[in-house]
Amino acid sequence: MRFMVIVKASKESEAGVMPSQQLLTDMGNYNEALVKAGVLLAGEGLHPSSKGARMRFSGKERTVIDGPFSETKELIAGFWLWQVRSKEEALEWLRRAPFDDGVELELRQVFEMDDFGAALTPELREQEKRVFDAARSKRP
Amino acid sequence: MKFMIIRKADAETEAGAMPTAQLVSDMMAYNKAMIDAGVMLDGMGLKPSASGGARIQFAGGKPTVVDGPFAETKELVAGFTLIQVGSREEALEWVKRWPPIDGHGKVALELRQVYEAEDFGAEFAPEIREQEAHLRERAAARD
Repeated sequence: MRFMVIVKASKESEAGVMPSQQLLTDMGNYNEALVKAGVLLAGEGLHPSSKGARMRFSGKERTVIDGPFSETKELIAGFWLWQVRSKEEALEWLRRAPFDDGVELELRQVFEMDDFGAALTPELREQEKRVFDAARSKRP
Repeated sequence: MKFMIIRKADAETEAGAMPTAQLVSDMMAYNKAMIDAGVMLDGMGLKPSASGGARIQFAGGKPTVVDGPFAETKELVAGFTLIQVGSREEALEWVKRWPPIDGHGKVALELRQVYEAEDFGAEFAPEIREQEAHLRERAAARD
């Protein structure tokens, strides 16, 4: 099963404070352990919401609201995508993460094709596989 | 530059309502258009916070785990799409084309720029940069 580990935004992440070399080193080693164990599939960090935007849909209207957004605790600073056997295994890995006080993470299970049932017809399933394989082959 | 389109949760995603056949089909067509344009890198949907969700808070180096569900639906995320585009404007153009039937026409999306190696400056020493590139390759090979 796949889990997404969401790193919640903080005052520092929203202020665009970059990590120290020590944290980059610790994070690099942690990521290395995740890769060696076959757990890590992907991971990215996000720029502060000041560079972001929100879009609201209403009928044919599309309204763009530029960041920054003030509700820091609703925002995300980054994520990992992990492949594990259980939620407990994901939590075990998280306990080893090199985070300081006050950091909040959220663990969320990812939908797999089998979760969609009959709405995902064999043709759609085939198309989905083709499309996502093509997308992922573009990734560095 | 890389952007993440965040699809915010709503009452239906948190209730575990599965998409209709029409929405699955529209979403697939949208993904296909992004792939054909060489824009889409990845995408996924998240189960409701009640299904496998947890929050972990670090204090004194120790993590505390609280299991879902979480009540603040508007703070939650229901899905992500990772895209590679030439500009923020191009990213916004793609966001505008998100299938309008999602969320019964009232879907809330957030666009956020992704950090890349060149954003980190001197703290991102050559050894760390090399390690990072190497790990990315190995992680992507598993996906």
